[in-house]
Amino acid sequence: MAKKILVVDDEPDMQAFLAAVLEDNGYETMTASDGDEALEKIKNCRPDLVSLDLLMPNKTGIKLFRELRKDPVTADIPVVMVTGLTAEDIPQMDFKKFIQERSLRPPEAYIEKPVDTKLLLDAMKEAIGGD
Amino acid sequence: MGRILFRALRKFSRSLSFKLSFFAGLVVFLVLMIFTFHAVKSQEQNLTDKVVQGAIKDSRIVKAAIWNGMMNNQREVIREIILAVGQLDRFLEIRLLDDEGVVQYASSPKPGTQTSKKRIDLSLKEFEKDPKERHWVSSSGDSLHLVDPIMNSRNCSTAACHAHPEEKKVLGALAMTVSFGSAREDFRNYANKTRIFAVVLFVVVSSAIGLAIVFLVNPGLKKLQESAALMAVGGYLPRSETYLFDEIEEVGRVFDDASRRISERTTRLSESRKLYRSLFELVPCYLTVVDRDYKIVRANRAFEVQFGNVVGMDCFAGYKGRRSRCPECLVERTFADGQPHESEEIWKVDGETAHVIVKTAPMVNDKGDITQVLEMGLNVTELVRLQKEVEKKQKEYKELFDRVPCYLTVVSKDFRVIQSNSLFKKDFGSVTDDHCFKIYKGLDEKCSNCPVEQTFQDGKSHTSEEVWLREGEETNIVVHTAALKDDRGRIASVLEMSTNITEVKRLESELALLGETIAGMSHTIKNILGGLQGGVYLLDSGLERGREDRIGHGWMMVKKNVELISDLVKGILFAAKRREPEFTVQDPGQLLKDVCDLFESKAAGGNVQLVRDFEEHMDPGLIDGAGIHSALSNLISNAIDACREVEERPRVVTVSGRRHDGRLWVEVSDNGPGIPHEVRDRLFNKFFSTKGHKGTGLGLLLTRKVIKEHRGSIRVESALGRGTAFVIEIPCERVQDDRSDRQAV
Repeated sequence: MAKKILVVDDEPDMQAFLAAVLEDNGYETMTASDGDEALEKIKNCRPDLVSLDLLMPNKTGIKLFRELRKDPVTADIPVVMVTGLTAEDIPQMDFKKFIQERSLRPPEAYIEKPVDTKLLLDAMKEAIGGD
Repeated sequence: MGRILFRALRKFSRSLSFKLSFFAGLVVFLVLMIFTFHAVKSQEQNLTDKVVQGAIKDSRIVKAAIWNGMMNNQREVIREIILAVGQLDRFLEIRLLDDEGVVQYASSPKPGTQTSKKRIDLSLKEFEKDPKERHWVSSSGDSLHLVDPIMNSRNCSTAACHAHPEEKKVLGALAMTVSFGSAREDFRNYANKTRIFAVVLFVVVSSAIGLAIVFLVNPGLKKLQESAALMAVGGYLPRSETYLFDEIEEVGRVFDDASRRISERTTRLSESRKLYRSLFELVPCYLTVVDRDYKIVRANRAFEVQFGNVVGMDCFAGYKGRRSRCPECLVERTFADGQPHESEEIWKVDGETAHVIVKTAPMVNDKGDITQVLEMGLNVTELVRLQKEVEKKQKEYKELFDRVPCYLTVVSKDFRVIQSNSLFKKDFGSVTDDHCFKIYKGLDEKCSNCPVEQTFQDGKSHTSEEVWLREGEETNIVVHTAALKDDRGRIASVLEMSTNITEVKRLESELALLGETIAGMSHTIKNILGGLQGGVYLLDSGLERGREDRIGHGWMMVKKNVELISDLVKGILFAAKRREPEFTVQDPGQLLKDVCDLFESKAAGGNVQLVRDFEEHMDPGLIDGAGIHSALSNLISNAIDACREVEERPRVVTVSGRRHDGRLWVEVSDNGPGIPHEVRDRLFNKFFSTKGHKGTGLGLLLTRKVIKEHRGSIRVESALGRGTAFVIEIPCERVQDDRSDRQAV
């Protein structure tokens, strides 16, 4: 049975692109445009992996990630961060550091935009495979 | 031999013993002589008196004896008596004279005596007045002459014989010559003996005094003489014994004391002489002593080393090689007024021009007359060179101080500006003694965190960045301070250097902006790239798998992102281009209308109502049409985008425009979600986009640039959940609308 991946991104174009890539590689995909929608979908039909954009309206990717990690039900769902921001771009938003400080298990992978599809697929494969 | 004797005599005659004894003997001699003279004189007088008295008595007796003869006219008797009396030893001659003075009777003269005259020299008339007898010593001094008048008496006049008339007073005279006899010889002998005695006494007294002086005074004197001789050469031989107890000894003691003191003083004098001499010789300047003829009498070593042996030369020749006196001669002046003088002269030293400070001082003798002048020359060439160098450096520093392109002031402890440079004076005027805080910032008391104060406290340099308000504009200033110390190392004042770094700050912020712009841009480009990548993937895979939906979606993504790239590049070009704004006469109302027309369709597409709140014709003014068009486009485009984020109310964008007081006022407001406070601060400064894939982040940056070019202002008012308003205000004086200048935008 194909693995289920939830693509969370506020950009519809990005959603469409990531979904197309994943579908073409044998994954089943769902999409969400913000944190709240994503959380609802994760609870309703538990995905095998979450592809998470960091900057989104309503509920940011970071907030959503922390909620997922803190909730024992969702804590073990692998998360791949897909973002256009790097630590150098906005130092005060050094999320890697931020997350580690909170002694939370870090996301399984970080993928920077523009997305290298091979890197993305490898990272996802590894994250799901290890599950 | 004779010469030696003469010398000895001369020496002796000049000796004290000779002088004293000679004069003492002379005095004794003279006293004795005077005494003897008087004694002989008085003895002689006594003798004469005695002889006179005897003669007078004899004369009375004779007169009495001849009285009867005369009365009775017995001439023979008279003759006999005269002759008889004349026989006596003591009478040399007796004569009876008639009233005419003619000798009537005379005794026979004694052997050895000269024959008497027939008459006597005396006129008998004299006796009429004074009947007293007359007597005198003979010219030989051996005898006494006495003339006793025979006066007419009553008896006579009445005598019967030859009666004399009663009126006839002198009848005749008895003239006697009496011998002094041996008494006179005795006196002579006595007088001679006395004289001899006087001479002998003189010799004895002189010799005694002379010997006493030789034996009693001379040894002491000799000793004094020796001491004096010793003293004269500065020696001193203390006396060990005393052998005389008189005034000379006392004098000797006083002399000895004086000699000791003189000796001590001589020693001191000699020491100080040595000191002055070595001072004169070794002092490191040229010293000469010049006399009234301008001849060099003495010169010290430094002088001789430099100018050679010049003693005896004229000073002007010695110092300067001149042939005549210097026109301004200090020596002459000092001789004239007795005062020291000073001047700076140019000498040739070692063949080079040397600056020499010359001083003169008078040298006076015991009487206070100026006999010589001390001339001192101090070579200050090096000093003068250093002084000039210092002056040059000072000038350079002053120049530097003045020309340095920042405000330089020297501030006193009470924060007053005591010195300032040209730029300061140009910008703040020549304000001295005013407080720095007053001048710079118009404050009435010192600034908090004052770097000047800190420097006064710790002596270190301090820096502070400040913002001054100059002619209504904020100016960024960096102030550096440094302590200025006085000779004793105390902080006397503080140098305050204020540099206008407004431009630097501007560049700095522009640089930061550029950095952020590039960062933001790369993010934007990444987003666009992501979008293109996605679009291309969907297109590719759609074509491959024959999925129409993917092809459509992919193509749309590609188109949109290409458009974004195009916008971005245009924006970058606009921002980067150093384009000079082109001010032309524009109708602001028309400009607003054009922009609104442009966005009408975009607004409609977003379901946004675009409200126009302005007159389509306003007073024309000078405006950079292209710039303002682009600025307004950005604001309206942003406003429309903002509105599209709200769903719950009708979306409205209002564009308002007014001409007011020579200014153009435009407001673009929306009823979108509003801008959070933290974002509002960064709106104009950063390459910042809240629109994710939809914005380039350049819009407001460019808008601000255009407004600044118009020397206008832009501000934002925003309330979360209610909307945002951007307000532009630019100075825009009304100008004559010349249609030919008008440019379509």
